[in-house]
Amino acid sequence: MDRILPFTDEHKMFREAFGKFLDKEAVPYYDQWEKNGTVPRDFFKKMGDKGYISVWLPEEYGGPGGDLLYMIIQTEEYTARGLNGIFVRLHGDVIAPYIYRIGTEEQKKLWLPLAAKGEKIFAIAMSEPDAGSDLANLQAKAVKDGDYYVLNGNKAFISNGMLADMIIVAARTDFEAKPHKGVSLFLVETANLEGFSRKRHNKIGLNAQDTAELSFVDCRIPQEALLGEENRGFFYLMEKLQQERLVAAVNALGQARRSLDVTIPYVQQRKMFGKTLAKFQNTQFELAKMATEIEMAQSFIDQLTIEHMADKTLTKEVSMAKYYCCELASRVSTKCLQFFGGYGVCEEFPISRQFVDTRFLSILAGASEVQLVIVAREMGL
Amino acid sequence: MGKVIACYKWVPDEADIKINSDHTIDLSKAKWKISDYDKNAIEAAVQAAQVLEGKAVSLTFGGANAKSSLKDALSRGPDEACWINSDLASEADGFVTATVLAAAVRKMEDVSLVICAEGASDTYARQITPRLGAELDWPVITSVSNISINGNTIRAERQLDDCIQTVEAELPAVISVLPEVNDAPLPSLKAVIAASKKPVTELGDKDLGITDLTSKTRVQSQKAYVMIRKNIIFTEGDALDQVKELVGNLKKEGIL
Repeated sequence: MDRILPFTDEHKMFREAFGKFLDKEAVPYYDQWEKNGTVPRDFFKKMGDKGYISVWLPEEYGGPGGDLLYMIIQTEEYTARGLNGIFVRLHGDVIAPYIYRIGTEEQKKLWLPLAAKGEKIFAIAMSEPDAGSDLANLQAKAVKDGDYYVLNGNKAFISNGMLADMIIVAARTDFEAKPHKGVSLFLVETANLEGFSRKRHNKIGLNAQDTAELSFVDCRIPQEALLGEENRGFFYLMEKLQQERLVAAVNALGQARRSLDVTIPYVQQRKMFGKTLAKFQNTQFELAKMATEIEMAQSFIDQLTIEHMADKTLTKEVSMAKYYCCELASRVSTKCLQFFGGYGVCEEFPISRQFVDTRFLSILAGASEVQLVIVAREMGL
Repeated sequence: MGKVIACYKWVPDEADIKINSDHTIDLSKAKWKISDYDKNAIEAAVQAAQVLEGKAVSLTFGGANAKSSLKDALSRGPDEACWINSDLASEADGFVTATVLAAAVRKMEDVSLVICAEGASDTYARQITPRLGAELDWPVITSVSNISINGNTIRAERQLDDCIQTVEAELPAVISVLPEVNDAPLPSLKAVIAASKKPVTELGDKDLGITDLTSKTRVQSQKAYVMIRKNIIFTEGDALDQVKELVGNLKKEGIL
């Protein structure tokens, strides 16, 4: 069945080129990156040299000026290879757009070309040890002091946190206002920042992703680093959620597909009781059910992508997609692992990485429960 | 200031070729691509055009399906593309292809250099470069692994079986390059998007004013080559015994 997304010749050429790039520059090294707990800076630069970062960014800021379908293709090509911990997309497709949308011309001219070239790496610091999904409750604070803001607070679960040269930090600036009205965003450069420290989280999966805990103690941030208007940070963070959730769903669905793709050849060659696993009806039914769910989800996602590109508001639908695809990816990897038996928990077998990596999906970028609250609210419940 | 032409062929991807039980070749599921070595020729042309401060032009002789190749070629750096759209291409032998390409080159003004790959990844017949040179009456350099251009002179290193030979020729010339000549980089996204805005010239074989386009050779059949393996496994004794037996057998076969 052909997909309904309007992929052009250019999209197809890009898929081929980007896939070959990953085969050459990422796949052979990824196991080592998992061991190292980080993707090397050099990889960001290689991506940047090819114009593969921030594919949506207009040429005037150093990007190639592509559309959303290029981002979808990148996501699918990463996940098809199990490169789940490369968060160049977070850097270039989630964080850089904040600067493009709400930054001053000076901020855009400074940071966006650096992002697109992969010369500086970005992170965004919203979550805190006691404020994840309930973001309005965040405690980090920035107090104006002359030409500076003095930043204090702790951030947790920050992707790209160890590598980041610049972190968009959400901090409270109005302590009298209602919780969601007193938050501002700051472009915080990490180099030589006094009072700043960071520590890697040791996680069960997504190990190539350098997730960190950040600490800011009396950090002096120049007032020019304020991103957008003071106290509107919470609204800025909410504005692009539709696309972020849609791409998160694409990513999860890609990971579900990868789990199935590595399992099918295994059950076709693994013999038990004199025949291959693929010949057992249980195997056939389980894999057929998973394949059906994946294809059904793909149709929904593709339809959403088309409507999102036509600027439709899809609050309920993208939350449904984010929730469903992330749960699906975790469920598929768990069921697929079972077919591998003991091999499934050995690192040499790619399903083991799928199993641990997909467990993150229903937590990251808005937990499943947050998505369900939104869906229920949109249903009038 | 002259143009540098990169010739390329649109071929089935060898990874998708299926062999039927009667050894006939099934191309029905094959995706098509620019012949791998031709990507090096395109990159070489782009580099040479920069040195000559001229334009790089991709040139292909192919049927209707070769239309898909034009943007792909242009995304690799040429300034413009020329497509000889003809049904004759699928049955063309070296004579027809070289005749058509030479006519197309003559039609373009101010061509300094034509670059082909040493051979195409489907047939690897290595016919086009020498034939093209003969048609155009230009010097020919084959098996090129390194190029430098100085003024109107091209200096090329030829990678031969037992030596590297360095030769010089005056431009215009026709050369064929080996994959070693460059890395044929993957196109950037900017180049992919820009490809659709570059000019393409489409010509039919009748536009070239050629009277004889009859292939001098005819393909009678095309079948997969099957290598018959003996599948002898030496299991007796320890590793040393097995190696001795293997070497003895290879000697007996005249291989060692």
